[in-house]
Amino acid sequence: MKSLFLVVTLALVIMSALLHWTAPDRASPVPVLYWVTQDDEVKRETIELFKQWLHDHGHPPVDVRLDNSNSDQTKKITQGLAGVGADLFDVYPFQKDLFSSSGMFLDVTDVAKERGFSPEASYPALKQEILFEGRQYGFPRNTGGAVFWLNTETFARYGIPEPSFRWTWDEFEKLGTAFVTAANPPGTRNRSYFVQSVPLIMLRRSLGLSIFNETMTKATLDDPRNAELMRRYLRWVNELHLMPTVAEQTAMAASSSRPGDGFFYLFATGRYAMLNLPRWALIRLRPLGKLSMRIVEPFHGGFPNMDFSCGLISVYAASKHPEAATRFLEFLASERFNLLVARSGDSLPPIPKYVQSEAFLRPPDHPEEWAIQEAFSKMGPELGIGYSRSPFVALGTVFRVESKISQAVVAGRLSPEEAGRQEEEELNAEIALTIRVDEKMRQRHEALTKIQVQIDQRRALGQKVPLAWITNPFYRVYYQAQGWLEEAPAS
Amino acid sequence: MVGGGAGIMKKSRSKGLLVGLMFILPNVLGFGAFILVPLLMSFGMAFTDWDFLRHNMFRDEPLNFVGFENFVRLFTHPQFWHYLGNTFFLMLGLPFAIAGSLGAALLLTRAGQAKHQIKPVMILATLIMIGSGLGLLQGGMAENGVWFFFGLLTAITLVAGVLTGGSVYRTLFYLPNFTAGVATFVLWKKLYHPDTGPINQGVAPLLDGLAAWINQMPGAFGYGLPLVAGIVMVLVVGWQLRRLRRAWDLSEAGLVALVAGTVAIVVPVGLMLGWFGLSASAAVAGSTAGLVGFVGLTARRLRPWGIPKPADKGLGTEVALAMLLIPGLLILAGAMVVGPSLPAAAMAGLSAPDWLGDYHWAKPALMMMMLWAAIGSNNMILYLAGLSSISPELYEAADMDGATPRQRFWHITWPQLAPVTFFISIMSVIHGLQGGFEMARTMTLGGPAGATTTLSYFIYIEGFETGRIGYASAVAWVLFALVFVLSIFNFRYGNRHVQD
Repeated sequence: MKSLFLVVTLALVIMSALLHWTAPDRASPVPVLYWVTQDDEVKRETIELFKQWLHDHGHPPVDVRLDNSNSDQTKKITQGLAGVGADLFDVYPFQKDLFSSSGMFLDVTDVAKERGFSPEASYPALKQEILFEGRQYGFPRNTGGAVFWLNTETFARYGIPEPSFRWTWDEFEKLGTAFVTAANPPGTRNRSYFVQSVPLIMLRRSLGLSIFNETMTKATLDDPRNAELMRRYLRWVNELHLMPTVAEQTAMAASSSRPGDGFFYLFATGRYAMLNLPRWALIRLRPLGKLSMRIVEPFHGGFPNMDFSCGLISVYAASKHPEAATRFLEFLASERFNLLVARSGDSLPPIPKYVQSEAFLRPPDHPEEWAIQEAFSKMGPELGIGYSRSPFVALGTVFRVESKISQAVVAGRLSPEEAGRQEEEELNAEIALTIRVDEKMRQRHEALTKIQVQIDQRRALGQKVPLAWITNPFYRVYYQAQGWLEEAPAS
Repeated sequence: MVGGGAGIMKKSRSKGLLVGLMFILPNVLGFGAFILVPLLMSFGMAFTDWDFLRHNMFRDEPLNFVGFENFVRLFTHPQFWHYLGNTFFLMLGLPFAIAGSLGAALLLTRAGQAKHQIKPVMILATLIMIGSGLGLLQGGMAENGVWFFFGLLTAITLVAGVLTGGSVYRTLFYLPNFTAGVATFVLWKKLYHPDTGPINQGVAPLLDGLAAWINQMPGAFGYGLPLVAGIVMVLVVGWQLRRLRRAWDLSEAGLVALVAGTVAIVVPVGLMLGWFGLSASAAVAGSTAGLVGFVGLTARRLRPWGIPKPADKGLGTEVALAMLLIPGLLILAGAMVVGPSLPAAAMAGLSAPDWLGDYHWAKPALMMMMLWAAIGSNNMILYLAGLSSISPELYEAADMDGATPRQRFWHITWPQLAPVTFFISIMSVIHGLQGGFEMARTMTLGGPAGATTTLSYFIYIEGFETGRIGYASAVAWVLFALVFVLSIFNFRYGNRHVQD
C-alpha cells in the first residue's frame, strides 16, 4: 500500500511538471496573449489581422489565444484580483468602472496619446465611456446604441403603417396596439409582440429626466415624469401586451444556443414586428436570409436621444506582456480592424471616420442593407449619449435596481409613483454607504453637492450654468439643447 | 531484550503513524487550504470594511476594523428581510420533498418485490396507451400531443420497471441527482415557457375544460369552493387546538410547544386575513390576540398535576407538524381567497400561469422544480437503505396480528425510519437555507422584482456586484448562524423524538 501511495504521488508530481512545461505559452516561441472574450469567427479574424498588422509595422510577433471560458464577471474579477488574469479583457459598459476602480487594468493614458488611440480618436459622446476618473484603461472594440429594427414584411402583412424615422411615444403606442390586435386574433396561444423590450433609461431621458442629478450625487426619480414613464410601461406590458414579460424573454433566450437568438428567429418569422438592438444584430440576422428591414430612431417623449456606449478591451495590470497587449489596443484604432467591424456587421467601428467608409455604407454582399447603414452612420453620432455613471454607485447595481423596480411595477407590487420613490431610496442608500465607508468619496461627494446646490439655485432663477459644473453626460447634452449653458461645449 | 523489543515496537508504531499521516495529509492540506483558512478569513472579513475594489493587490489601502457595523447594517437592510423571507418560503416545500422521497422509496421497494405482477401492469400500461391514443384522435396533435407522449412514456416505463425488477424505476428516479444542475434549470425554463412550454401546453386544455365546467356551475365554484375550503380550514384549526389542549392537559406539551403549535395556525390565518384586505397591522394584531388568547386560556386551565416541565417538552413534534400545517392551511386560505373570483375569471377564459414571470408564481414554480429534484435525490437512496434494514420479522409479526397496510406503515415503517428521517430533515434544512443561488441565477436572475432572490444570491450580489466582501461575509455568517441554530434545534428536539 505504501509503495502504491508513493508511486501515485510521484506520478502526480511528474504529470504536474509535464503539464507545466508543456503549457501553450511555454511551448510557443513568441509571447502569448490570452484574450477573455467570446469565441467566434470575427474574433479569430481579428487575431489574424492583428498578427499581419504587427508584421507590417515591424513589431515583434505575438500569438493571441481566445479564452472563452472565463468571460463571466465573477471569474474576471476573481482571477484579475488574484494576480492570474488574462492579458486582455473584454469589458462591458456596466463593468468598466467596477474593474477600473479596482486597479486591475493597466493605465494606458500616456501611451494612448502617443500612439493615437486616446478617447479623442473615437466619438466625443464616448469620452466618459472610455475614461475612468480622467484616466484611460482601454479602447473600444465596438460602439453604438440600440435602434429599432423593423421587419417591413411583417408590417405589410398586417396592414400596419411603418413608423417614421423620428417618432413619439404616442405613435409607438398607437401602432403597437394596432399591430398586436391584428397579429393576435382571439384564441391564438402564441402571442406576437410589437417589440422585445424598450430601454427605460432612454425613455426617461426623452422626458428630460435622468436617474441622477447634474453632479450625479443623488438619484432623482421621485418625479412626476418618472411616474408617467412607469405608467406607460405598465400599460405597454400588462394591458396592451406590446412586449413580452421578462419571463417570456428569458424563456425565449433559453430556447436557443446563444443568448437572444430566439428574438432574431421570431423577428424573422414575424412574431416580433421590431427589435430594439444595436447594429451588431446584423451578425445574427444575416444568416436568417435577406430580410426586408428598416431602422428608425428610438421613439421619444419630447427629447430624442439614444443610449450610446462601447465595449472596451483593457490590458491586465499584471500581464506578463504589457507592451504586446498595449499594441493590441493600438491595433483597435487601425484601419484594418475598423474595416473588419464595418463589414462584419458588428456595432459601429471605434474610429468615426470609418462609419463613412464604403465598407460600412455599402457592403457589396448586402445591398439590401445600404439604407440601414446610411441611417446608422448618422444616428449614433447625432443622438448618442453615454450612460450616467455616478462615481458613488456601480452601474451594475443601477441596472439591477432599475430592472427589479420595473418588474415590481409590472407585477403590481409597486405603483408607478412608489416605483420612483423606492428606486430613488435604494440608489441613494447605496450612495450614502459609499461615502460613509470611503473618506475620499465623502469629500468628493461634499464638493459636488455644493456645486449641485449652486446649479439648483441658478436653475430656480432661470439662470444659465457653466458646463464644467455638470458631470452627468445626459444633462450636458440636455442643457445645451435647452440653451441653459453659459458656453457651448468644446466639441 | 524487553527494552529493545519495546523500542522496536515504538519505532514501528511511529513509522506507522507517519505513514498514516502521509495518507491523510493531502486531505488535511486540502481541507486547511480550501475550507478552514477561507472560513477563518471570512469570519475576520465580516468585521472589516473589506471592499475588493479598494483592498487588493493593486490598491493597497488599509483595511479598517468596523466591529459589528456590517451586521447592524444587515439587520436594518429591508432587502435582507425580504430575501430571508424568500429563503424560508422556498423551504416550505421541504416536508413535501421528504414525504415524496419516502413515497418514492416505498414504491421502489414494492416494485422490486412485484415481478410476478407483470399481468396487471401490462393491462394498466395498455389502458394508458389506449386512453392516450383516444385523446390524440379526439383533440389532435396540437391539443393532446403532450398528453399522448406522457401516456406512452408512462406505459413504457411501467412495463420496463416491472420487467427489470425495479431497476429502471430506481435509475429514472435517481436521474435528477446526477444530472448537472444548470442543465436541468435550463430544461425547466423551457418546460415553464408560458406559450410553448410543455407544462402550459398540457395545462391549457385542462384549464379550458375547467373554465367550461365553472361556467356551467358558477355558484358551485364561486361559493362552494371557498365554503368547502373554509370548513376544512375550521376543522383543521379546531383539530389542532383540541390536540394542543389535550397535549397540555396530559403534560405532553410544554409552554413553548404550546406557543409553537398555536403559531402554526395563527400565521396562515393572519396571512389569509391580509389577503382578504385587512391591513397588515390589523392582521398582525388579530393574530397576536388569537395567539395570546388561546395560549393564555389553555395555560390557565386548572390541572391537579401542575404545569408540564420542561417548557419545551413536545416542541419537536409541534415544529414537525407545523411544517405540514402551515403550507396546508395556506393552500386552503388560497382557495378561499381565489374561489369568489373564479367564475369571472372563467368567463374570460382561464390562462395557464406565467410561471417564472409572475411575482406570485415564481416561487411556487421553483418549489415544484425543487420537489421534482428532491424526490429522486440522495434522500430517496437513504430511505431505500433504511427500508431494507427493517427486520422482516416485525412485518411478519404484524401480519400475524392482522395489521392493515396503514397500521404496518405507521407502527413499524415510520418509527423504524425515524433516524433516517431525522438525518434527512437536518440536511434538507441546511441545504434549504444555503440553496437557491444556482437556480435563481440561471432561471430568474433573482426576479421578478426580487421574488426569487435568496440569501445565497444576496451574498453573491453584494460580493461581486459592489465588491463589498466584508459585508457579504457578514451575510454569510448570519446565514451560518441560522443554519447552526436550526441544526441545534433539530438535534435537540428531533433527536428526542427519534429516541422516543
